[in-house]
Amino acid sequence: MARYVRNPLTITWVLLTAVTLVSWLAARDTGSAHVLNVGVTVVVLAIAAVKSQLVIWYFMEVRHAPNWLRVVVTGWVLTLFAALLGIYLIIP
Amino acid sequence: MTDLLQREAKTRGHIPGESSMWFFVIGDLIIFAGYFLAYMYYRGQDPELFLESQARLNLDIGAANTVVLLTSSLFVALGTSAARSEKTADGVRLIGFALTLGAAFPVLKLFEYVPEVLAGVTPGTNVFFMFYYVMTGLHLCHVMLGLVILSFVIRNLRDPARKNISFVETGATYWHMVDVLWLVLFALLYGMR
Repeated sequence: MARYVRNPLTITWVLLTAVTLVSWLAARDTGSAHVLNVGVTVVVLAIAAVKSQLVIWYFMEVRHAPNWLRVVVTGWVLTLFAALLGIYLIIP
Repeated sequence: MTDLLQREAKTRGHIPGESSMWFFVIGDLIIFAGYFLAYMYYRGQDPELFLESQARLNLDIGAANTVVLLTSSLFVALGTSAARSEKTADGVRLIGFALTLGAAFPVLKLFEYVPEVLAGVTPGTNVFFMFYYVMTGLHLCHVMLGLVILSFVIRNLRDPARKNISFVETGATYWHMVDVLWLVLFALLYGMR
């Protein structure tokens, strides 16, 4: 059992879940009024980018994969979130 | 712990699962990225409408489903690691738990969709809900397929003659991709302002 609890995968999961719970509670606090908020959006997108990369790196085992696969998948995360943020900030 | 680290060190430079699955995974990631970027573009045309519509979503179910998928992914990853270490019984149990937990996702999604549809919120309501239903609907299809794949992984592990670690990794890779896509959807639909 200890081999599953004291495991890098489980530690990754604790981090991912803690971040999710914190952002859940933070979002609930703001109540029902949704107003444009660049700060919140930047934080939300950054958290999602880090979470995605953690799942890709540790759960999907891309950290042990050949370089081309690491570059393609990590490149997907970086390009996607940079483009999402770019569109959000530029339009309109 | 030590033997686990040694084993992992030995797998460096190793593609997890069949490379054909990675072809589909990368293709799917690119297709969904197109949807995500289109969503962001249309949002920019009418941010007020998107914010107002986002406020009508059930954040609690969305967040609960995020935890469901993250936890299910953890059990798949632990199960894969166990199967690789010849701890097949543990692998079956861990992936079985991941499957059971993963099956909660569509159930929770139903508790989200049904009240929305009953309240008259459909894909025709506005452009936000068109994106919401199409993207989450497509993602839900991926979850269902993922559950089927996980059940085949368990069947594969249970039969010593059939046991094939590459297939376990292939199924795990697909399931984790479903998790990653949901993390982005959760941020775009429920989180951002």
